[in-house]
Amino acid sequence: MALLTLQGISKRYQQGELEVNALSDINLTVEEGEFAALVGPSGSGKTTLLNIIGGLDSPTQGTTRLNGTDITTLKEAQLSDFRLFQLGFVFQSYNLVPVLSALENVELVMVLQGKHKNECRQRAEHYLELVGLKDIMHRRPSALSGGQQQRVAVARALAAGPRLVLADEPTANLDSENATALLDIMHTLSHEEKTTFIFSTHDPRVMDRAERIITLQDGKIVSDERHHHEHKT
Amino acid sequence: MNKQLIKHGHLPFLMLLKLAWRNLWRHRKRTLITLSSIAIGFGLAVLSIGIGDGSHNSMIRNAIKLGEGHLTVQPRGYIEAPANHKYLADGLALSKKLASLNLAGSIEPRISLQVLASTANNSVGAALEGLSSASDPRVDMLKPQLLKGVWLKADDARGIVIGAGMASKLKAKVGSKVVLMAGKKGGDSQAQLGRVRGIFKSHVPEMDDYLILGDIQLARRFLQGEGADVIKQPVTRFAIFLNDSEISSLNIIKAKIKSAVESDQVIAMDWQEMMPQLVQFIAIDDAGNYVFLLLILIMVIFGVLNTVLMSVLERTREFGLLRALGLSKRHLLTLVFCESFIMGLLAIVVGWIAGGGVHFWFSQDGIDFTAIMGEEGTIMMGTFMDPIVYPELSWDRITQLTTIIFIATLSSGIYPAIKAARVTPVEALRT
Repeated sequence: MALLTLQGISKRYQQGELEVNALSDINLTVEEGEFAALVGPSGSGKTTLLNIIGGLDSPTQGTTRLNGTDITTLKEAQLSDFRLFQLGFVFQSYNLVPVLSALENVELVMVLQGKHKNECRQRAEHYLELVGLKDIMHRRPSALSGGQQQRVAVARALAAGPRLVLADEPTANLDSENATALLDIMHTLSHEEKTTFIFSTHDPRVMDRAERIITLQDGKIVSDERHHHEHKT
Repeated sequence: MNKQLIKHGHLPFLMLLKLAWRNLWRHRKRTLITLSSIAIGFGLAVLSIGIGDGSHNSMIRNAIKLGEGHLTVQPRGYIEAPANHKYLADGLALSKKLASLNLAGSIEPRISLQVLASTANNSVGAALEGLSSASDPRVDMLKPQLLKGVWLKADDARGIVIGAGMASKLKAKVGSKVVLMAGKKGGDSQAQLGRVRGIFKSHVPEMDDYLILGDIQLARRFLQGEGADVIKQPVTRFAIFLNDSEISSLNIIKAKIKSAVESDQVIAMDWQEMMPQLVQFIAIDDAGNYVFLLLILIMVIFGVLNTVLMSVLERTREFGLLRALGLSKRHLLTLVFCESFIMGLLAIVVGWIAGGGVHFWFSQDGIDFTAIMGEEGTIMMGTFMDPIVYPELSWDRITQLTTIIFIATLSSGIYPAIKAARVTPVEALRT
């Protein structure tokens, strides 16, 4: 069974008197362990699609099944729990809680999940080490660079053990070197942890790293290609 | 539904506190300014209420000492229609019953009569108070106010002490004879001769103009004229003065006395029942303090509301992020509410340190209002307020003020908390 199945997803917004079709009849299947990129120009519907997959937004039509659960039928409180236990998020920027240190940010989701304090600490330190930030894990976000903050967000997303990590333009605010480094970390962890990644981007450097490129245009999938990459370690 | 979905997110209390505490100190200056304004307001409220209570208590204490004690045992119906023929015929038996209660305080038998006082020059209506002992609190209050002459000696059956106002009206001096005349129940009248031993000036016009103090033996002669048996030591009332430590148990003691002495002839009343006008005056004066307290509360509510609401509005994106990560609406509501809770707690602690400190300072040395009140203090409702006011705060007041400020702080956190909980992740993350 596919990890994620989208069937006939449409999203329409009312903008003044105009009705905007953000997404039209999206059908998509993502298998476990995939490292897929959603690409397309601005306004093509990438973020809307990620929000619907993540249960942050609801579609006008269609169903989203993740791991067998139709999340479009879940109530708000159930969606919160769903996101907490099943999903990891990495946003473009402002990913971290400013009053918590890098370590506490990574621990936060696990604490909410009810994991034991020691387990939270061990896993947080482990993932911060994997993203190369263990030495500065007690710093607060304001004392970290943009690239470091994004790496903390990746560590947080993975440490909680989600089935799927959604990343909305995770490298948009990073320079070339940091963007590549972050993608490499995500790619490596995706393989090592067997975690499914779906990320949106319009950065060609990022697209090159993806194993599957789903192209959106005007709210529709116009192409869905698989690439084979040598896994870098 | 997937089995994992049965699990629920849980925000542990310590994490909640950590987040709330750190959020509160994100804008250190803003929080400190809000806290200071609440603390200053709260401190002023504490001081103002303390002064109010202190001055009221001073009036009450003086009224009780000058009046009929914390508790009074007297003939039923006397307060509604005082008359010389209404007296407690068997004072001795009642006195024994009261003594058997072993009250911590003093029991003063008194005879109060309405008389006409006359000298060769003039006649005035007067209240003759027959006191039984030199330790009567009324003696304590008035003896130091003696202007001329000497105080009554024990068993001086003819001696009287009068107020300066009455002395002036009667044109009486120390040594003057004063004829005291009283109406009898049947319509006749009776008279006794008194001699002025001293003249006092209490600055309470009701006393200076109308009060005549004499030995209980002198007053008892009038009761004898009404047909009372002197052997049974008749009195018009027993004034019961409780020790300070017992005042908080007034109602319990009152109940004890009631069950011991009350009958269809005898009633036991507390000072509030004896002086309803004073109680009313204090209630009205308290209302002024409550208006001040209300203003402070409004300041506190808007202070907290402003700080917490601003902090919520600034964090819309962060709330969106937290919602995306799996925090529920309830978690955000609790978090922001917790911030108000901590703010309220800090405000109370700082407020009590500031207000309590100032209160303690003044409660030791008092606040001198002589410039406003004059040397005599302020006289009203048949009593007076000492010109040096010592602020007082009872535990009830402390609890009341703390609870009010705390509830005000918490309630001002409700709106920001709801606002935070209403953040929708998609819109918040777009900001």
